[in-house]
Amino acid sequence: MDINFSKEDIAFRQEVKDWLANDYPKHVKEKTDNGIALTKQDMIDFHKALSKKGWMGYNWPVEYGGTGWSSTQLYIFNKEFGLAGCPPLLAFGVSMVAPVIWTFGNDEQKNRFLPDILEFNTWWCQGYSEPGSGSDLASLKTKAVRDGDNYIVNGSKTWTTLAQNADWIFCLVRTDNSGIKQEGISFLLIDMKTPGIEVKPIITIDGEHEVNSVFFTDVKVPVENLVGEEGKGWTYAKFLLAHERFGIAGLGASLRSLNRLKNIISKLNNPDLERKANELEVSLSAIEITELRLLSALENGGHPGAESSILKIKGTEMQQNLSELFVEAAGEYALMYPGPHGYGSNDKPSGPDYAAEGLSSFLNLRKTSIYGGSNEIQKNILAKFVLGV
Amino acid sequence: MNLDYNEEQIMLREQIQKFCESEYDFYKREEVIKSDKHFDVEVWKLFADQGWLSMPFSEESGGLGFGPIELSILFEEFGKALVIEPYLATVVLSGTLLDKSTYAEKIDLIDKISSGDMHISLGYAEADKGYDYLSPSTSLDSDNILNGTKTLVLNGSNAKKLIISCMKNNEFNLIILDSDTDGVSINSFLTVDGQSCSEISFENVVVNDVNIVASGDEAINLLNETINLAVLCVSAEAVGCMESCYFKTLEYTKGREQFGQPISNFQVLQHRMVDMFIESELAKSLLIKAMLEVNDNSEDMYRHVSALKSYIGKSGKLSAKEAVQLHGGMGVSEEMMIGHYLKKMISIDALFGNADYHLKKFAS
Repeated sequence: MDINFSKEDIAFRQEVKDWLANDYPKHVKEKTDNGIALTKQDMIDFHKALSKKGWMGYNWPVEYGGTGWSSTQLYIFNKEFGLAGCPPLLAFGVSMVAPVIWTFGNDEQKNRFLPDILEFNTWWCQGYSEPGSGSDLASLKTKAVRDGDNYIVNGSKTWTTLAQNADWIFCLVRTDNSGIKQEGISFLLIDMKTPGIEVKPIITIDGEHEVNSVFFTDVKVPVENLVGEEGKGWTYAKFLLAHERFGIAGLGASLRSLNRLKNIISKLNNPDLERKANELEVSLSAIEITELRLLSALENGGHPGAESSILKIKGTEMQQNLSELFVEAAGEYALMYPGPHGYGSNDKPSGPDYAAEGLSSFLNLRKTSIYGGSNEIQKNILAKFVLGV
Repeated sequence: MNLDYNEEQIMLREQIQKFCESEYDFYKREEVIKSDKHFDVEVWKLFADQGWLSMPFSEESGGLGFGPIELSILFEEFGKALVIEPYLATVVLSGTLLDKSTYAEKIDLIDKISSGDMHISLGYAEADKGYDYLSPSTSLDSDNILNGTKTLVLNGSNAKKLIISCMKNNEFNLIILDSDTDGVSINSFLTVDGQSCSEISFENVVVNDVNIVASGDEAINLLNETINLAVLCVSAEAVGCMESCYFKTLEYTKGREQFGQPISNFQVLQHRMVDMFIESELAKSLLIKAMLEVNDNSEDMYRHVSALKSYIGKSGKLSAKEAVQLHGGMGVSEEMMIGHYLKKMISIDALFGNADYHLKKFAS
């Protein structure tokens, strides 16, 4: 047994660190370091910089212009980006729809969509959840009816992250109602500029506009935008979810958060907070090593499937617990919350800088145990596929 | 022994419940928070008409002479409806402090509070002093010139008068002054749960002798008792929130269908809602003990209020987090009421000492 990275992996880590030190766009870094929300343009600049370095296809095979990195390299990349405080990479294009396209799509679709994803010329969003279909995703009702060379799409999607910025949406739609609910679902790519699509903001409890409802009224989608076979969408969706779960533990970001928290708490002379931070540090270490074990299994030809649910559950709980401790460390100043757009015309109130930022994260991160397959669903997966009950 | 509320108390609860259910609309509340005053003037007038604004004041001061039990009932119901009006700031923190003081002009001020015509705020906290309210840096010099800065002054932007803690010749003082006095500057913010809250600085403010509400031990006792009563009130509010979190979650899961059945059918969710119910009942028990001790003005009252505050700080936040989680995406949606209970619980835990602080206070 050897828990250390190879020489090559250590050299790779240095390369990642160097990029972060020199080429991570300064205006983005300045904002994230100070807890300021990023604009659409900031996000584009960040991803374009990554693309320029050739790292946009971080989890892609070389033949499609990806890095062809090993799982360990991918882990290092994720961790270092989190530690540096980078915004999470937008997964919808590069690591969600792209693998579906290169695995199940035809050559025309690969040529049409993959290069733009790699250069971040298109912003993708995900049309999965519906008002009546959350954890029970397969019950989705948005309908696509074949009409000559088009599908006519009617229905609605919800919790659609950053749909307000998106050029394209990949959707699960119902093309058949006759069989069991998992059959009859198809995977459709839809241009957000198509007439009949309406995006309405949903404001979340942190005051942010991050998610949306997307309504489809007689939206005409060319049949050539169907990925793979009609009625096989559920298989593709499950394939995609497996890709989504990697890196969901948010390890690097949590480590960064813990370091900042420990730094803050060290000045407060508060043994309760110190104990809580220490407990979180031990848990985080357990999560980190669990992720390494999964990685090691992958590198050595294993197939750790359902165990990655452990990382989703514990990783998201860790993010939430860290943000809650930030709030506790702020004491009475946790009260003062400027909302996502800062203090406006007022001067900043007294109290520590981290107070408002901690609260903003605390409220925002409630979503992490709900999305991506809620933690309850993850426990069902573990019970069924690992415990075998 | 009888731990039931009496008929008068039950009627009071029903009266408040009726108001909250029929007149207090959550969506209107959201508009009110964004308005200039951050509370509803019409609702405040209604509070006055119902006699609620004079509820805790002694009959000698023209009040109804109700005590901590009735206040707890009021705040429990306010918690359920997430009432945003500044009852805590004006009536509890400022009004009851004045009522218990020997300040010469108190009758007139209490009358103005009771009629809804005047708001008064208490400046008790300062930056870098944490939850220690008895050693303020704000000072009154020998010429009665006031200098210093108070923070987290609830409803400060609406206050016509301010009660301020300060030191004079190493003695703790509570003074009162008009908020538009020369040298007073007020900077206001919204709290996480939508209350208006100010940072107020005093620069060479001239204070006349008559403006001293209390000095020395009398002032210390007044502030301690007032804060203790306020802690009881916000804890009762938290108990109301916890009950609503449990109840609304139960209702939601009964109506939300996934996998062909209401999600309330799933045992794992049932147990979590049972836990929320149990926590809400245990918090109610500690509330009953604490309010009875405060009602008796017993030696142990501070200890029992701390036990309550520490308990609701922890279990109240947990209940609210569970409520959000079991509501799924709806739980984090700003236009749903449920997520706002979480904000309220964060605010209540942070006010007047969090769970850890009160646990220590309880044990000492």
